[in-house]
Amino acid sequence: MKVRRRDFFKVTFAAGAAAAINGTSMNALAAGTPITKKSRAFGGEWMASTCQGCTTWCPVEIFVQDGRAVKVRGNPYSKQNDGKVCPRAHMALQQVYDPDRLKVPMKRTNPLKGRGVDPKFIPISWDEALNTIADEMMALRDSGEPEKLALLRGRYSYMRDVIYDVLPKVFGSPNNISHSSMCAEAEKFGVFYTEGKWEYRDYDLDNTKYLLVWGCDPVSSNRMVPATIQRLGDVLDKATVAVVDPKLNNTAAKGHEWLPVLPGTDGALALGVAHVLLTEGLWYKGFVGDFKDGKNRFVSGVKVDESLFDEKESYGLVKWWNLAVKDMPAGKAAELSGVPAEQIERVARGLGKAAPNVCVWMGPGCSMHPRGAYSSMAVHALAGLTGGVDNVGGSLQSSSIPVNKLDKKLMKTFQDEVALKHTKFKKIDQRGYLNLPAISKGKSGGGVSTNNVANGLLNKDPYEIKMIIGYMNNPVFANNGTERWEKALSAVPFTVHLSTHASEFSQFADIVLPCTTSMFEKLGYTKTKANRYATCTLLQPVVEPYWDVIDDETEFPFLISEKLKDRGFSNLYNALTTMYKDPESGRKAKNSKEFTEYALKYYTAPLWDGKKDVGGDKINGWQDMLKRGMWNSDPYQYKKQWGGKFKTVSHKFEFYSKTLKKALEGHAEKHHVDVDRVMEESNYTVRGEMAFVPHFEPPLRSGDMKEFPYMFIDYKSRLNREGRSQNSPWYYEFKHVDPGDVGWHDALKINPADGKTLGIDDGDPIRVSSIGGSVECTARLWEGIRPGTVAKSFGQGHWAYGKTASIDYNKAQARGGNNNTLIPWELERLSGSNARNGGHALVKIEKI
Amino acid sequence: MTQYSMIIDLQKCVGCGACALACKAENNTELRNNGQTHNWADFVHITTGTFPNTKYQTLPVLCNHCSDPACAKNCPTEPKAIFKTADGITMVNNERCVGCRSCQDDCPYSMEEVLKDGAYGEYSVISYNSDNIPVHGFYRDGKELIPGCTSSGIDTARVLRATPPHRTKYDHPDYEDVREESVVEKCTFCDHRLKNGELPACVEACPSGARVFGDIDHKNSEVSKLLEKHKSFVLMPEKGTKPNVFYVRDYSVTA
Repeated sequence: MKVRRRDFFKVTFAAGAAAAINGTSMNALAAGTPITKKSRAFGGEWMASTCQGCTTWCPVEIFVQDGRAVKVRGNPYSKQNDGKVCPRAHMALQQVYDPDRLKVPMKRTNPLKGRGVDPKFIPISWDEALNTIADEMMALRDSGEPEKLALLRGRYSYMRDVIYDVLPKVFGSPNNISHSSMCAEAEKFGVFYTEGKWEYRDYDLDNTKYLLVWGCDPVSSNRMVPATIQRLGDVLDKATVAVVDPKLNNTAAKGHEWLPVLPGTDGALALGVAHVLLTEGLWYKGFVGDFKDGKNRFVSGVKVDESLFDEKESYGLVKWWNLAVKDMPAGKAAELSGVPAEQIERVARGLGKAAPNVCVWMGPGCSMHPRGAYSSMAVHALAGLTGGVDNVGGSLQSSSIPVNKLDKKLMKTFQDEVALKHTKFKKIDQRGYLNLPAISKGKSGGGVSTNNVANGLLNKDPYEIKMIIGYMNNPVFANNGTERWEKALSAVPFTVHLSTHASEFSQFADIVLPCTTSMFEKLGYTKTKANRYATCTLLQPVVEPYWDVIDDETEFPFLISEKLKDRGFSNLYNALTTMYKDPESGRKAKNSKEFTEYALKYYTAPLWDGKKDVGGDKINGWQDMLKRGMWNSDPYQYKKQWGGKFKTVSHKFEFYSKTLKKALEGHAEKHHVDVDRVMEESNYTVRGEMAFVPHFEPPLRSGDMKEFPYMFIDYKSRLNREGRSQNSPWYYEFKHVDPGDVGWHDALKINPADGKTLGIDDGDPIRVSSIGGSVECTARLWEGIRPGTVAKSFGQGHWAYGKTASIDYNKAQARGGNNNTLIPWELERLSGSNARNGGHALVKIEKI
Repeated sequence: MTQYSMIIDLQKCVGCGACALACKAENNTELRNNGQTHNWADFVHITTGTFPNTKYQTLPVLCNHCSDPACAKNCPTEPKAIFKTADGITMVNNERCVGCRSCQDDCPYSMEEVLKDGAYGEYSVISYNSDNIPVHGFYRDGKELIPGCTSSGIDTARVLRATPPHRTKYDHPDYEDVREESVVEKCTFCDHRLKNGELPACVEACPSGARVFGDIDHKNSEVSKLLEKHKSFVLMPEKGTKPNVFYVRDYSVTA
């Protein structure tokens, strides 16, 4: 028994040694400490905002005591989360009260830039910071090269229009570059070129009979986390849950079937499932149609006469069969994908039986790799075959959110001749180049290619970028191929970073501006959907910012517009104050705070001004909107696209994609080549008609398997607030809630059999290397990972950001290893996406 | 009689961690240090089988508020610092606790020193706020990452006038909202919330509805009904402490 000296008397008394000590005080103690305190809750108020820890964008409420945020819950009005949130929202408390937050603007005093080079930041005033930035911008205007300013956007609210559209466009730069293609554009690709929507899907879990999750873990990440957590327990009772993932994720651990696919071979697996569905006559005839005489002619390896089949809501089933499916029986799919043929057959039969209430939930795991576009199409084609598209218990599109749009016509009136001309220049990400079709929504160069900005910068192609303004982003950490970004950013003459923390990107910045945290201090709004409801939800300053910070998307453009006006360029100021007048009073904003409020009111007015019935929640005016913090739509109506209303070329769900054919031919024509050449330039192996159907592409592996024998899998931790929670101690403390992980370590999951071969024990410090780079982390031997593959969650490996995130900020010494250093630079070129999945990164593992 | 208890429905639980984080926010518990987790709610993870027939389960753990609590047996103060309340909560009185840690020693669900975590089956429902280590040292540290530009722990606490800055303030006769050094601490079933008509923070926060709380001595309570409906188990029944945290159903449908 260990007892403190000063407490000794309490114990000796209890042990009956009382007599030795003064009796009066004894007696007082004998009765125990008199209880005077009652149980009492201190005052406080629940205030509405939005969590941006992941892309669910949950409406939340924050309990505020004495002006401090103390706890978090879901917004009880929300029909998506019903007042419940996932761990991310709770963890955010350590983000807003992070000891390492930037409290004032700072500038670098060391002109030399590079990883590990001390920028020698010193604090400066807001005035000095804004004056310096305005001078740099004016220099570009004066020399007639406004296009040399690039605006790099990271995570955003829908106030983005101001900083991302109006600022660069009125200034005269075409280079507003988003982060979108880091996320899952290749996933949207598969949906667009079958279903005609460049969008993420909603999922009708309440009514599903078969939930097929492919390449994600929806109770941990993806886009409706709390809604899924809430429902999975019941779905397990009512439906079959099957999960395709090389590692055992949470949903797989709870579900009926785990299909541990060989990374990058999802296309083969999906085609194998399709083959079983077709040969066994299990496709959903109410959607796909049937042979005219009702006799199934889908026999493995045998071509079918198209004229014998009568399609309903779909187009090109028999063409697809003839081109790709007929040659992928379950046995062959098993051979390629590593998933046993019996399991493929079992899952396919289960899907057929549950059709059309089948939910094919596709995540980035199967699509975000160099040849992922066609895997994405193949997986989504299963939603078509089973009739789960836009249907009860299936994958859904979403109700619209009737907020106001950016007034482009009005904006144009503030663009001078220089701006009009230079905004038409090519963009620095090279979208639309022959080898980078980025055919978002059917248009060559229609989508962004975030990771290719590094190449544009390095090669000064199409031209040099002299100035970058980046906000809520960290491209040098968050894009695969970090070394390329380090080089590229080191050479940019002037960079401004708007951030809450001094992240890796800040280390390359000339000026860093401290900003509000989105969930607690910022004013704005987001649009989101889940559980059949579309939602508009406000970000609100539920607490006063406690440092000298600004809202990145609105206050910065306003403040800089004032400075530009002082220097003789008033277009931006005039545009902002005219475009975003207070919709109620018609007043123009006089300062940045007023401007932010007016802009938010402008966008959201249709939801609360009562002028028009927009459906959904009825909100009585602006104050009511602020108090509730959100608006729910009416529930999405099923089968909205059935009956020939799909937004594809054929207006049907396309198994043979006329839409993709048109897009690829358009891109080829632009470059005076044929589609085969486009395929070749874009890393794809097929030629001819195969380019227009979902098919299997042999996965691209970066590195020699002899030297780098393991396939590396990257995934998202359920505790990742995207890349922003790694300076929070709670992140490390509870990291073990990711299956196979260990707290306070960056654990690489290795199958024990591979550990034995390597002579590596559980807990060993290891070095993992690829052709892209090398990181250090901890070995975790775990049976939940496919032999031959290794997995580690994205997030750790910060060499900047804060005292918790890195071992030593001053020495640029990282805690753990950044997956994006390991995953070599690469793209999925048809969509412009980052290629981070599919095991394209081959690695070797050594004990340190 | 009242015996508060908790049922955890493992089929509903997805092991996400929200309960444990909500607990830390509600109860202002310290960060792990000196072998003490200060996680009143925590998790144990169990992986069995070999690839591809691998099974993985998460088991949320917390103080079992035992009917015959081993932790109270050797508590040396009089009255005892650890005792059963009229509602069946196993309570620690901060004033009476002398920090001898016999409770930690005697509790089958606690460890004096936790070197690993739930990944290796290690946890402790009782933690000790060490002698001479000020609580919430994270917010007492004066080091600035970039001098003059970024904040520090102590600066943040000073400006917000609270340690930790997200401190949830409340009063309770037996415990402080932030416990001082040299006392043990553990789950109280959020008695300060119960007395205010609210559910424990972990129950309210659980996004899956896996945690159900109520009076097991009351036949019509939700907990009693659930225990009647499902087979249940408790942790280490052989220790004879009669735990009041019960688990129903399986984490994995194929278990």
